Amino acid sequence: MSVKKKFKGLSDKAVGWLFIGPTVLLLLAINIYPLVYAIKMSFTNFYANKIGREPQFIGLKNYIKVLNKEAIWEKMQVTASFMFWTLLLQAIIGLGLALLLNKKFKGNELLTTLIVLPMMLSPAVVGVFWTYLYNPQVGLFNYVVNFFYDFGSFDMIGSSMLAPWSIVIVDTWMWTPFTMLICLAGLRSVPNYLYEAAEVDRASKWQQFIYITLPSVLPFLLLALLFRGIENFKMFDMVVELTSGGPGSATELASINLKREAFEKWKTGYSSAFAVILFVTIFGFGNVYVKVMNKIKER
Amino acid sequence: MILLFVSLFSFSVNSNAKSITLGWAAWDPANALQELTKEFTAETGIEVNFEFVPWPNFADRMLNELNNKGKTFDLLIGDSQWIGAGAVYGHYVKLNDFFNKEGISMSDFSPATVYAYSTWPKGSENYYALPAMGDALAWAYRKDWFDRPELRSEFKKKHGYDLGVPANWNQLHDMCKFFQGREIDGQKRYGAAINTERGSEGITMGVTAAMYAWGMEYENPNKPYDMEGYFNSPQAVEAVEFYRKLYEDCAPPGHSDAYMVANLDAYKSGQVAFQMNWYAFWPGVSKEDSGGRVSGFFANPKQNVAAATLGGQGISVVKYSDKQDLALEYIKWFARPDVQQKWWDLGGYSCHNDVLNSPSFPTSTVYAQGFLDSMGIVKDFWQEPTFVELMLPMQEAIHDYVVNGKGTAKEALDKIIAEWVEVFEADGKL
Repeated sequence: MSVKKKFKGLSDKAVGWLFIGPTVLLLLAINIYPLVYAIKMSFTNFYANKIGREPQFIGLKNYIKVLNKEAIWEKMQVTASFMFWTLLLQAIIGLGLALLLNKKFKGNELLTTLIVLPMMLSPAVVGVFWTYLYNPQVGLFNYVVNFFYDFGSFDMIGSSMLAPWSIVIVDTWMWTPFTMLICLAGLRSVPNYLYEAAEVDRASKWQQFIYITLPSVLPFLLLALLFRGIENFKMFDMVVELTSGGPGSATELASINLKREAFEKWKTGYSSAFAVILFVTIFGFGNVYVKVMNKIKER
Repeated sequence: MILLFVSLFSFSVNSNAKSITLGWAAWDPANALQELTKEFTAETGIEVNFEFVPWPNFADRMLNELNNKGKTFDLLIGDSQWIGAGAVYGHYVKLNDFFNKEGISMSDFSPATVYAYSTWPKGSENYYALPAMGDALAWAYRKDWFDRPELRSEFKKKHGYDLGVPANWNQLHDMCKFFQGREIDGQKRYGAAINTERGSEGITMGVTAAMYAWGMEYENPNKPYDMEGYFNSPQAVEAVEFYRKLYEDCAPPGHSDAYMVANLDAYKSGQVAFQMNWYAFWPGVSKEDSGGRVSGFFANPKQNVAAATLGGQGISVVKYSDKQDLALEYIKWFARPDVQQKWWDLGGYSCHNDVLNSPSFPTSTVYAQGFLDSMGIVKDFWQEPTFVELMLPMQEAIHDYVVNGKGTAKEALDKIIAEWVEVFEADGKL
């Protein structure tokens, strides 16, 4: 009764703010404040480990340094290549698996459960156990590959040619189930009468796939790829455990390099600038992508 | 019940008041120290809690703790390269007054270890640590294989000299290559497990073992931080090329990101004839010789000069600790010659002259003489406060050249110098 009295005078707007207030405060404290602080730091020569040394304002110097550094562009290329191949493979295999599991057959549920298992594991754990699977002497991966064709001894994570593929394979193994699940949700939302109408119009299976299935599932697939794209842009733990960014810098993604600059070299100002550049990049790409996705949906 | 609760509570308050925490890396010597410390607790009633961090995360964990002025540790056994940062950024307590008051003399410890583990600026009389664990990079080999007559005669026929402890790096390469891919007792064996790790300091510690032996200097002795022509001298380039050759010709397959544990595993599992590793591991290796395995040990081979990569650590009191007095009491106890002797007996590497100069020391273990030899020729990586910033580019560039096969050794060393110049400029040294 007393509570009722207390809130009697509150408007709908005020009640709304009461509900979202804590979330907004948390967002401000955890997301917005660090972002603003990082932007501020990016214009200074701050080193977090140099106690007593006051940061000095140095304008755009950090940004110029990051953008002119050849090594940074190499890391960005490695990241772009990693993203391209993982997204491509996860889209193709994920959609394929979703089409398979959309059929009704015995053991469908069990197979779905088995397929989604990898994405339930911790990326760090996945990285560690794949180092064993890739071991050229005792690893299962080399054994299986050589079972089909004898390539002899090869070292997936020690070779600069193969190491980038080693991280692509693991990420694809781990995250294809995610793409598959989203696509499966899309497939199950397609009304059956569309296929029945197509059958009446004597459309072939291929035509049904191109004109009904694909357009229906495409927004779901694009959404899954957006999530995976953002995740892979900041991929860190799995790759660190698997290759440490090596051999040399063959698999050193931008996020790994950022961590090394920020928390090993303690170049706080410089790494803040680098982080802002990465943020703007992914934010820009994300926005363009969402606009394209919305246009596809509208069609 | 209430009485029990009160007594338990008061016990925990008491034990907290008389306890300290010591941080170190998780490895064999840490277990020996834990054992040794039981005597300290028995003598003083001060409990010592230990936090041992695995090597790959050791530097990250400890340096973050220090940078954040953390109070987790009262005592820290930190790597030799940290001493500069510990002193300059005020993480470590300066121990001069304490040493004077307690009559602890640095001349009682091996000069190389005092220089490396305790002083900042280098060679000064400002002490920030007590030498705790002497160490250097060395080699272990399969003596049982070396003693086999058929292998000995085959090797001699091929190379014209005896299979044994290599006198230089060329001989080391010959021997490693001799075992590479060779079948012994029905199993395929390989040459050497060497440091190739990319993430922390592994490949740098390995390649500098060769570079020091070739006579590399980091800088112009008359002009500090002038590295051109020193760090990338023709000798240094040759050493890095040689290290790559050793990796390509003699490492077991998949040994592309290996450091202490991976080298130990390769050796213990019988894959390799040689392993490169720290003296700290030799007590364990020697003790675990079984199934016909007999291990021999030797100091880093000479090439142009006799030199070895320095490892080891000093024990420091953390400035942010609330229990500095108890931590100092531990150091006072640890500095005692009788404790140092027990430390060596348990498998730790004492740096105390009473232990090292004892007539029985060289024959006390099979690796003791090698340890003595090594500690006389050690060289260390930069100990600057910025050592992590200096280490990372070297790790990347050397790994890129040795394991990844990218570019030339000269290009790798030039790239490192360029990065180092940037670091020293930012630090106001250049």
